[in-house]
Amino acid sequence: MSVMVIAVATESGVPIFSRKRGNMDNIQFSTIASLHGINMFSKCHNLSMLNTKLENGSILWKEYNKSITLIGIATGGLECDLELLLLYVHNLMIFCIGKKEIENLKNLEQVKRELRQCYPILDHLLEALDPNSVSQTSMFLDLIQSILCPQAQQLQQVLDNYAERVTGRWACLFISGYLVATSSDFYELDSIEAKLLMLLAASQDGAPLRETPVYLPQMSPNVAFRAVTCKLLADVYVLVICGATPALSEIDEIVLHCWENSAQLIKEAKLMYPRNFPISITFEPCILGFLIVNINRRRCVFSRHLHSNQKSKSMSGLHRIDILRTFFVTTAKELAPELKIADDGKECGSHSGPSETYWCSEYHKWHARRVGDLLACALYAPTVPTHTMRLLTNQLLQEISSSKDVYW
Amino acid sequence: MNCYKTNLQYHSPCDSDNDWTESSDSKCTDSESSVPEWDSDVEEDGELTFIKVKANNVASQDAHTALLENCESFKLRTDFKRSSTRRSTKGRIFKALKSRKERNKSNIVKKKEYEENNKTVIVQVSKSMIFTSDNNCQIEKLFGISLDTHTDGRTLIVADFLPEAKPIYTPRVKIGYHLQKINGIEVYSYNINNILQRISEDVDSQVKLMFQDVSEQLNVDIEKLLLKTSPDNLVTQLLKDSMCSTLYICCNDMEYQSNDDKGVLYCYPRPFNQNFLYNTRGAYVTLNHLAPESLRTSKPLVSSLVHNSALINVAYATQNNDLFLFAVPNSRVDVLSLQIIITDIVQMIEFLYGSLKACFTKATNVDKLDGLFSRVFVSLLFGKQKPDRVDFQDVVGVHAVCLPLEVRIQVDDAITELEAADYREWTDEVENFQRMYTVIGACLYYSGHLLSSHLQDSDLKEMHAYLKLNGILQFSVQKDIEKLVMWREVFTNEYRNRNKCEHDYRIPDGRWFILVVGRGHFILATLMEAGGCTEDAVGITPPSPFYVEECESCVELLFDVGLDRYLASWLKSNSQPQLQLSPEILTKQGRKKENISLKSDIIRSATLKLSKSQLDIKRRHNSSEQINTGFENTMQMAHSTSHHNLYSQWHNKYRHSSVDVSYSEDSGSVKSTSEISEDRVIGRRADREQKCRRESSGSDSDWDKQDGRSSNVDVSDIRKSLLGELDNVKIQRITAGDENVLFHFVNLESERGILLAPVATIDNESSSAIYKYIISTFRTTCKRIHELLQHGIKFKKNHTPSNPLNKMLVGVKEYGMLFEVPQDLLAESGLHKKNESFSFWVVGRVISEPAARELYVCYHDSVPQDLTEIAYMLSYLG
Repeated sequence: MSVMVIAVATESGVPIFSRKRGNMDNIQFSTIASLHGINMFSKCHNLSMLNTKLENGSILWKEYNKSITLIGIATGGLECDLELLLLYVHNLMIFCIGKKEIENLKNLEQVKRELRQCYPILDHLLEALDPNSVSQTSMFLDLIQSILCPQAQQLQQVLDNYAERVTGRWACLFISGYLVATSSDFYELDSIEAKLLMLLAASQDGAPLRETPVYLPQMSPNVAFRAVTCKLLADVYVLVICGATPALSEIDEIVLHCWENSAQLIKEAKLMYPRNFPISITFEPCILGFLIVNINRRRCVFSRHLHSNQKSKSMSGLHRIDILRTFFVTTAKELAPELKIADDGKECGSHSGPSETYWCSEYHKWHARRVGDLLACALYAPTVPTHTMRLLTNQLLQEISSSKDVYW
Repeated sequence: MNCYKTNLQYHSPCDSDNDWTESSDSKCTDSESSVPEWDSDVEEDGELTFIKVKANNVASQDAHTALLENCESFKLRTDFKRSSTRRSTKGRIFKALKSRKERNKSNIVKKKEYEENNKTVIVQVSKSMIFTSDNNCQIEKLFGISLDTHTDGRTLIVADFLPEAKPIYTPRVKIGYHLQKINGIEVYSYNINNILQRISEDVDSQVKLMFQDVSEQLNVDIEKLLLKTSPDNLVTQLLKDSMCSTLYICCNDMEYQSNDDKGVLYCYPRPFNQNFLYNTRGAYVTLNHLAPESLRTSKPLVSSLVHNSALINVAYATQNNDLFLFAVPNSRVDVLSLQIIITDIVQMIEFLYGSLKACFTKATNVDKLDGLFSRVFVSLLFGKQKPDRVDFQDVVGVHAVCLPLEVRIQVDDAITELEAADYREWTDEVENFQRMYTVIGACLYYSGHLLSSHLQDSDLKEMHAYLKLNGILQFSVQKDIEKLVMWREVFTNEYRNRNKCEHDYRIPDGRWFILVVGRGHFILATLMEAGGCTEDAVGITPPSPFYVEECESCVELLFDVGLDRYLASWLKSNSQPQLQLSPEILTKQGRKKENISLKSDIIRSATLKLSKSQLDIKRRHNSSEQINTGFENTMQMAHSTSHHNLYSQWHNKYRHSSVDVSYSEDSGSVKSTSEISEDRVIGRRADREQKCRRESSGSDSDWDKQDGRSSNVDVSDIRKSLLGELDNVKIQRITAGDENVLFHFVNLESERGILLAPVATIDNESSSAIYKYIISTFRTTCKRIHELLQHGIKFKKNHTPSNPLNKMLVGVKEYGMLFEVPQDLLAESGLHKKNESFSFWVVGRVISEPAARELYVCYHDSVPQDLTEIAYMLSYLG
């Protein structure tokens, strides 16, 4: 499999960057020029090339703001998400250097240089299309991986307090790259913005305290905010968006002040990892993996360590993530038409999507069901009959939606 | 090859013809019947398309005149007189046909009027009404309609109605209709103002407006297109407007330079500079090179692009560095269907011309190709009555229907007789007569549904592509054909790949022809071989009247048996297996709502049982007592071992006797057939038949194997049973549960290209809005499931790890989706009680043994179903 994203300045045809993942050769300048040429040439004839389907993949052209053309090539992967990938890549470019810069492209060399800092995040985005690798940080392009824990509500209060103290607005807490708790107005942020912030935190792994200027593509594409990440414990980070003040050194003191009493709380929450679900929620032994998506909040919780006594063989466990993800991306997403890219919403109108769906193979069975905002995907042993599958998934959904320990 | 020629008394065609002529004169007194009515339509290259529609259909008149105009110089051919040496009954049939023709003639004048009324709408508008027009346009003020000019610059099209005027015109007049006449005067864009002027001065207060319904005119086109070699400008313009296009580019450097159009060998619709594919061909050629060369991906399949705010899909097909492109708007054909369609088109072109290169490099083919592609586009765009997309189920395979065993026997029997071509009935001089063609196989359609195929799978696929893409099948659905004869040379799959694949037998250096004969809603397509043990076809080969009549009489036989009437009602009967056409009656528990009534008595058992009459027939057919007992055993399903023994016995017997049974015609006409030719014939047919046997052996029942093997059935006997049968057709069910919860099914044997499904018009049988919703959901969902299941099917087929497929998707063998009928639709149908939802499943499954097979089922949520079980049940019916 291979995924590649190429960015070209639409007018001048100058390549801005190209990033790839997988076993693809490095792309030559002439190839980029030809690919871009195809798009430009057909435009002269009042015709715009949208995409081309290959035997095992596809090529996609997308022009943004009349200044940048993104070309995506994916083979043998989850190419159904290619359009989404380009959307995220474009938003990432704004996130890093601001919308104005991208529209004007005055100093192309400088833009190229500045965009280099977003490569780590870009690589995380590309990972999401690779069906064979397990990425801790970005299993899905458009969903934020989370941990459900009973402590989330208390943590939220601490976060709110912290955000107020640094005169910031949005704050969130990560454990091992998973979102655990958010400040109460965190959902004002667009889902793409939230996802990019999370990837930013993930790419800055290791630094105890760090600030990065960020443009929020929806909220403020032209004025930069400051994203401050701070390491609280091992694998525990807190991120806050704030203005130019206070200085980093001041924030260091505020953090200490706000969080020193919550250490125990965080440690308790940390115990949820890697099961990712509160202990009060139990799973039938025939369920091998479970994914639940809160569609409204674009958050997902995944677990393959469902049974405390069971020692999962690491290989098969990783495989479970892959196959459950593939199921979600190619099929179960149909249950949530909201997750589709907005601009061509005509087709979803005529037929409302399915409410349940399943796959069977010789080794596994998958089942997905949606109730309200929650979508559950479960991986079962192949011996479970289809109707039992439906029953079990439904039970789990009920349990999670009514549980007091679940706080999104 | 040589040895058999020496063994044989060789007669030159001329000699034998003389014999035939003499005998014909003595036998047949009706001199007219010796010259077939289609003879004057044979084209210079020997091809023939002759169509005659029964007069009670629209547009028959057009066909007749077109035929007369098309007359080419009549050439006397050496073999045409053979026709009269038919069996004695033929004369009578001809007379009957002729008398019908006479009768039709008298109807013609009346029909013409009717036809015109049918296509035009006349609306009377009072001049006293004056509509308020924003544009201060006279026509809007007078009539309340706004007009547009057609792209031809003359015709006026209704663009919109003013709100006050809407009730006057709708629903009879629709937007897009042509305004033809005002008060009987033809109007065009250049004279409209004069006419309006005259009308406003006129004393008469009533104005008659005549509109032409354009949508119906399109249906007529197919027949015209079939007859004409090149399409008229109107059709070309229409296709141009609807963004259809095709292009063939030679990417070879040599020819690229030498050709005036930079390698473009063919382009339709023309002129070149108005064809968007031609204008942007550089993009596709570049992409086609770039993807495999620089990006190291596979070749491009389909590109989607937006042109004039329409989404268009362009499909690619490459052969020897040449690129063939085919573009259709996405509103008619989606990406997946287009991929299938382009392979069909390529197959069809190869079938007709040998290869893409041979087809497009000959300049003389251009007119024929224009005709061909206009038919392809028209059948894709306007094929269906509804403005619907091309269905997945229309493109993936040949649509076959389940028929009762006795009907299958009947049909197979008729075709077998044709294939046998046992001439001993018609001439005593068998020894002196060498046949012109060997019938390789034939397939029979009724109203677009395949009844039986005796062709090899690959041949059937190509034959079907030809019939479907040329609109012949669709034509046979819409029209009651009186006579249809088509003849042309083809290049079979076997011949094209003769160097590539190894057969146990040798393909002769011969030529192949297809003969398509139609009557009523029947289409019989026959593949014939000249060469090998028959006479060699040299030069231009027009159809032989003898073989045309032979095929016609085969169809005739089906009419004699009453199969036409039987099938017409059978296709409406919804019985094998029965579908649930009124979903409203099902409750959440899968029971009927109220009165558990009459019907449930008949269909209480969920398992399949043979009707008594079927059993009788089988008894009659099985001469061997052993098989009868074996049959009993299967019914009990207990003594499985003994019945296996019986089967193998029967199998062996069949195998040894196959030479005499199936190929008796060889011993009849060519008495001392050489070993080589016999081997070949046996090889090819036995191949097919052995395959059939292998396939059916999975179903573990004796009676399955008996189909079509009964050549000694008494026709009159069957006829009685046939006509009597329909009253008490046994209703078959394939789902579990008390009530029938099956809404629809599709069984696709992708290897063979055959698709078993209920009749295509099944959703018209039900008046329920919910059912229509279910079916349309089923059709769109099937496409998605099919696409996903292909990963696994492709993987199993070539096992190549080099092809970087998504490994996760390879293992999926069953894929199901649960849908809910929207609440507002339920409310409309009066089902909005207690907020109860109505859910149904669409499930697809791959069954990979023995050959890949896909089953799609749509059923009510109440009773869980096992798809393997349903597939098993279906295999008994199919």
